Amino acid sequence: MLFIRRYLIPRLIQYVLVIFVGITAVFFIPRLLPTDPVARTIAELRSRGSYLDPASIDAMVADLTEMYGLEGSSFDQYIAFWQRLFRGDFGVSFFQFPTPVIQLIKAALPWTLGLLLVTTAIAWTAGILLGGVAGYFNRQGWSRALDVLAMVVRPMPYYVFAFILLLLFGYIFPLFPVAGGASIGRQPSFSWPYISDVLRHAFLPAMSLIILGVTAWFQTMKLVVQNLNAADFVQYARFGGIKERRIVSRYVIRNGMLPQITALALLIGQIFSGALITEIVFTYPGLGTLLYNAIMTGDYNLIMGITVFSIVAITTAILVIDLLYPLFDPRIRYN
Amino acid sequence: MDKIILTTRQLKAFYLLDIHGRQKVVKAVNEVELEILENEIYGIAGESGCGKSTLLKTLAAVVEPPLRQLEGKVIYHINGEEVDVSTLGDEEMRRLRWEFVSYVPQGSMNVLNPVVKLKDTYHDFISSHVKGKSQEETFRMAKAYIAELGLPAEIMGAYPHQLSGGMRQRVTIALATLLRPKIIIADEPTTALDVIVQRGVMQLLKDIQQKLQNTIILVTHDMGVHANVADRIGIMYAGKIVEEAPTEKIFSQPLHPYTQFLINSLPKFGDKTPRQSVPGSPPSLADLPTGCPFHPRCPQVLDICKEQMPAYIAAAADHKVACWLVEEENGQAA
Repeated sequence: MLFIRRYLIPRLIQYVLVIFVGITAVFFIPRLLPTDPVARTIAELRSRGSYLDPASIDAMVADLTEMYGLEGSSFDQYIAFWQRLFRGDFGVSFFQFPTPVIQLIKAALPWTLGLLLVTTAIAWTAGILLGGVAGYFNRQGWSRALDVLAMVVRPMPYYVFAFILLLLFGYIFPLFPVAGGASIGRQPSFSWPYISDVLRHAFLPAMSLIILGVTAWFQTMKLVVQNLNAADFVQYARFGGIKERRIVSRYVIRNGMLPQITALALLIGQIFSGALITEIVFTYPGLGTLLYNAIMTGDYNLIMGITVFSIVAITTAILVIDLLYPLFDPRIRYN
Repeated sequence: MDKIILTTRQLKAFYLLDIHGRQKVVKAVNEVELEILENEIYGIAGESGCGKSTLLKTLAAVVEPPLRQLEGKVIYHINGEEVDVSTLGDEEMRRLRWEFVSYVPQGSMNVLNPVVKLKDTYHDFISSHVKGKSQEETFRMAKAYIAELGLPAEIMGAYPHQLSGGMRQRVTIALATLLRPKIIIADEPTTALDVIVQRGVMQLLKDIQQKLQNTIILVTHDMGVHANVADRIGIMYAGKIVEEAPTEKIFSQPLHPYTQFLINSLPKFGDKTPRQSVPGSPPSLADLPTGCPFHPRCPQVLDICKEQMPAYIAAAADHKVACWLVEEENGQAA
């Protein structure tokens, strides 16, 4: 199979290699820092004024060293790191001691994925379709009106826009809850009251992401399509009397979406590191908030856990798009 | 007398440009009179920038700003009825395309949708004109036609980038002639191809014309191609047809000095003397000289050439030319 040999295998090798190098970097970079996490933790405890006798300090150093995975030489640590990684063990978190990192990620991931995958998909699809149609009919009044609208909305800083939404629909007209992923105390279940509660909480953050997302996709797609209007095959189809609906869908949008597919893949990869500002403005319990807290508290294991996660996610997204891309653009096929 | 299929009357199509507030008028098609017959190959020859492609655009009724058809008419003779193209609505015109008049573009490298297979492109074109055909029926129709033209049927499953330039041009010609149009407008159909492939492509066009007994309006600057395929030739200079005659007459007794230059610049077997080209360069269509536009380059220029544009003179029943010199000679002869 030519496809497997020429197309699939090189990409799989590349995929594994990129993940390997990325995770190796995640392992070594913190170790190059001049601070010793064990010494820092103990110093922190001491600065709080608690008295520690030397024997217990020694015991603590040993415990912490083990928890941080700092036993033995760098090479030993590296091997041990990979071994733990394959078991899905990222160690324990420090800011929520002693919860394992993997559990924290597992708790945060569904919120982030649910919110971001859905909003990205909606924003991308709507932006591509609107931009495609508006780009083809760019001389029409409604197309220009959309353009102006996008131009006004798009440059708004996200946090300002999100905050306006929150203020407007959470406070002045209290239609939607202002914080959280679900009402406090509600037990997760597959029942309508719980699902509708989650949807109500997700509505404002989702709207903020979708509205700004659509305008961004709209603008790029419209520009791409406006250029395509002058392309020979579009002009020829128009001259050949092909119906406009068909030209828009099969000629203009099919070709114009090619660069957008690549951009989408990169964006989907980034989803796995969370949408920090969204999650902070709307106090949404996702990966972004988790990562933010991890960084603020110097929680190495958690930072490493999330970083490894997003490395795998981004490379996987790129691999998947790489494999799917020939379906959209036959010129990329393995010949 | 052969039937006329397309007429133009005093056709004027100018580009109206507005460059930083300064109006500029590019007179690309200037008072062109054509009568093109059924079942003939009419060649239009001329240098780059003489308005050939613009003339084709107006003939095909694709006049989009900044191009404007200011005066004159393009008339299609559809089933014996005269139809002024400019009076047709969008939908009527859309239906005439491909069924009555179709178009083979210059170098078909990019006229086929790159992301779909050829059979889908064929389907798009067919289904937009023929009602109630399923995808399968259009495929069968396209395949049968492709086979009829002697092209391999497998290419229907290929993408445009998988074909060679010559094959792509052939596929486009097949696409353009699929619905058996009465008029095929071909704009430099062989320009981007090497000579061997050119021959094949021209042969294909000729075969199709013979089968369909329709009209081809062929534009190219290559006089060799004209000599091989055209029945009649119109020589275009600065937006005007300056001479029109059957192909043999254009080559054997060209009357207009510009035509003479064109013919004399062609290489001949056994003749190794250097060829002479037309002195100077073509005038800007935005700033035409007064009188005959060729007079600044004409070696036999007369005083009147600088003041007045000559009218057409019939040197023979099928040979007309716009030149004061011919006027002069005829006057002397008379």
